[in-house]
Amino acid sequence: MAASRPTRRWTAPRRPRRASQPRFGAYIRELRERLRKTDPSSSLRQVAQRIHVQPAYLSQVERGNVAPPSEATVRRLAKELGEDADVLLALAGKVSDDLQEVIRRRPTLFAELLRSLKAAPTHAVLRVVREVRDGKW
Amino acid sequence: MVTLEGDRLVFRFPDVHEDARLTVTFQRTLRIPDDDRHYPLPPGLGAFPLRHIDDYRGRLPKAWVERGGVLMPMHQAEAMWISFGSHYPVAIKVATGKVNAITGSPLTRGLHRGPQDYLVTPGQPWLDGFCVEQGVIRQFVAMPLGQGYSVEEQISRTAEHGGLQLVVHPLKAAAYRELQRERARISRRSTGEIARRAADMGLAPGGRMRQEVYQDPFAPSDWSQKHTGRCFITIVNTVLWPSLTGETPPSVSPTASDYTKAGLPWFEYYDPGAVALRGSDTLARVRSVKALSESKGVSVLPENQSVDVQRTTRIHALRPRRVRDGRS
Repeated sequence: MAASRPTRRWTAPRRPRRASQPRFGAYIRELRERLRKTDPSSSLRQVAQRIHVQPAYLSQVERGNVAPPSEATVRRLAKELGEDADVLLALAGKVSDDLQEVIRRRPTLFAELLRSLKAAPTHAVLRVVREVRDGKW
Repeated sequence: MVTLEGDRLVFRFPDVHEDARLTVTFQRTLRIPDDDRHYPLPPGLGAFPLRHIDDYRGRLPKAWVERGGVLMPMHQAEAMWISFGSHYPVAIKVATGKVNAITGSPLTRGLHRGPQDYLVTPGQPWLDGFCVEQGVIRQFVAMPLGQGYSVEEQISRTAEHGGLQLVVHPLKAAAYRELQRERARISRRSTGEIARRAADMGLAPGGRMRQEVYQDPFAPSDWSQKHTGRCFITIVNTVLWPSLTGETPPSVSPTASDYTKAGLPWFEYYDPGAVALRGSDTLARVRSVKALSESKGVSVLPENQSVDVQRTTRIHALRPRRVRDGRS
């Protein structure tokens, strides 16, 4: 049973402009260290415990000495650090299972869509995301 | 613009600032006993599903389709809390059946103080119910519209709207830039047409809970009232959810008693730097579901026995505070 209320974080570090695997470790370390300044439970040891990995392994990941962990672990880490799971997965060079399934169902359509949006500015991409229509009330 | 991303509503104001973004989820939770004790905050048990109303327009009453927005399923007598996620400051008006959940007044345009009729996030991470007095709310509990339990029916004497309404205004970009400068300074120093009545639900007041709704820390002129994001959340009785959407609704949440017996935690939110609003006299006079059902001689709240909460987790607000400089 998911019993915890989501923790709200006041600040988040600037997201890197380009996703790359070595950046993943530095980014999560920066996030965790920032949280640790106000919350001692964000120490390497305690975070590692909560996401079910060894502290030594998390330390290696943060230093970029080993490849990023599995999708499930990245998701637990994202929740722990108050970051968007898709952002961390992208930094880890992974495409989440649900997105892979979306693409597999209509591969040509989604490949075309993503390529056509590659150079589009953010506000143009947002127009493709379906808005919730507001009506009369 | 308002988008639906998974089961999250996302309000964005790209014309104001690229960071101006608010995420809202509606959390399933325990219904706290309606026994006039004051309970701590119950847990989140996952987000309610949300669906575009336009995807089911052929099966819905015309009035629902006209108001737009999204659909959300709730069981009768089920409780809910609203979770707000934002880095950029936004002012949020929350109404049920177009009655303001902070003041008990009809939902109006714009932001008002005296009394303050909105909440501000970050700072206010959750809202669990109607603000009935300083530091106390009555939990949001879904009841069928037309039976007289909803706050809308008790205050405006109509069962016209039901559901939940959100109106969001962002901080002006100039005020945000000033806030960022302040945060940076602090950081450096510290670190098919159905019968409408059968499906339409309203929110009624449940048990009492300790939760503060905080005073706006910004100046009125800091808010951009010409930029507005609105969404009507139509609450659908789970009995009719499968026939409307073809989907199975979420299971019934555990009772407060079962949850507590399992040794699971309740919560308290502590923000020493914020000032709580005093609460609404109008909402304080509204009768709870239990009180009203007893006066009608019916029982609509199963599992309402009192609970002795043994385990409470305190969550501290993580807002930046100045580092006190002492004598050197």
